[in-house]
Amino acid sequence: MRATGGPVGEDDLQARVDGRLAPERAAMVETYLAAHPEERERLSSYAEQREALRAAFGRQSEEPSPTRLRVANLLAKQQRSRRQLLARIAAAVALLFLGGLGGWTAREVLPRVTSSPSAVLATTVFDDAIAAHRTFSVETRHPVEVGANEETHLVQWLSKRLGRQLIAPDLSSLGFQLMGGRLLPADSGPAAMFMYENGKGIRLSCYFLSVDVGGRTEFKYREEKGIGAFYWVEDGLAYAVTANTDRASLLKVAEIIYQQNSPDGAKAKVPPAPGKPS
Amino acid sequence: MPDRAALIEAQIPGLRRFACALLRGDRERADDLVQDTLERALASWHLRRTKGNVRSWLYTILHNRFLSEQHRAKRRGLHDSLNDQMDVPGIDGGQDSALEHRDLIRGFSLLPEEQRSVLLLIAVEDLSYEESARVLGVPIGTVMSRLSRGRERLRQLMYGDINEEDSHRQNGVLRRVK
Repeated sequence: MRATGGPVGEDDLQARVDGRLAPERAAMVETYLAAHPEERERLSSYAEQREALRAAFGRQSEEPSPTRLRVANLLAKQQRSRRQLLARIAAAVALLFLGGLGGWTAREVLPRVTSSPSAVLATTVFDDAIAAHRTFSVETRHPVEVGANEETHLVQWLSKRLGRQLIAPDLSSLGFQLMGGRLLPADSGPAAMFMYENGKGIRLSCYFLSVDVGGRTEFKYREEKGIGAFYWVEDGLAYAVTANTDRASLLKVAEIIYQQNSPDGAKAKVPPAPGKPS
Repeated sequence: MPDRAALIEAQIPGLRRFACALLRGDRERADDLVQDTLERALASWHLRRTKGNVRSWLYTILHNRFLSEQHRAKRRGLHDSLNDQMDVPGIDGGQDSALEHRDLIRGFSLLPEEQRSVLLLIAVEDLSYEESARVLGVPIGTVMSRLSRGRERLRQLMYGDINEEDSHRQNGVLRRVK
């Protein structure tokens, strides 16, 4: 394989076995082999070996190729996966777009819900109060833990657990009678719930939770699957009044409870304008 | 591109032969390797150098895939010892030629991978020395020395102890490795 001069080397001998010896070196190599019979023998054994290898491995390629190795099938498979990839990219783009749209839409909503601690608190109390109302107001036999017949004990017990004096609101002017109450778990500590029922069997619940918030907040309203709730905070106590009723009726309940609990008693003015439904 | 399919298709028998010999006769794995190679070739068809020929390009991909699979297998601790018996393809002819054939295949499977690759590409696949060097990613001088050493070693494995009894021949192959 060396094109130019130099003595005969191993590369020349290998090239002769493979029929790749440069023509201009052929004569020189033949002369060398004539003078070295052991090398001639070695080369002829290599040549035999080469033929034997070709015979041994060559037959394996005579079988027909399996269909999975057909180029047409592989191309079809590749096109399928390319289409799948495109579909996946399209889906990702669509999601990204929707996410962006959602984020744009939420830019006004989210700060109100999540930015301030008081908003977080409102959300939590709403969630807990509505969940409790939904769970216990449908109970026929055990809607409360302690019945109205033990009202004094009930109020003392719940006041002790919440660490402040509670008042069981008197809603008889609206036709609601106290059924009793129960203690509930909440993230920040125990919560109290009083349950009322009117003559038509409509139940409402008043939910109380001690909080580290001073002052008072305006009323907030939330409606969820037919259940309405008013929420406010006054003087370290969060209130939530919940019922399967409309906003106007519930507002009356909330106002009465607010007045009864206000330090100014029944003389208290109506609280700041109720918040719009959110 | 109708010629792309035809150009690749023409190389499949050789690629299967090469893969099967590299994998010591494991045809299922060999066809997996060929399929992998073809899929990569089709996916990167536009990346190949226009001047390079399709044949050595395909062998290059296959050999690289083979090496990385060996590497992964080694990392996973899979056993791929030199003593793995090679699947001996059937051969027509008498008892003597069958034995010789078996010894050849067995002796060949005992060679180091780099010598097997060179011998297969040059002696069986008829690639030139330059093409083989490109496929294996080594200088041409390395190809030549691997070729020379591989041939000599296989010769010794085959004929180094020819008078030994038949019963010893199978294991004798192992002992004769220097």
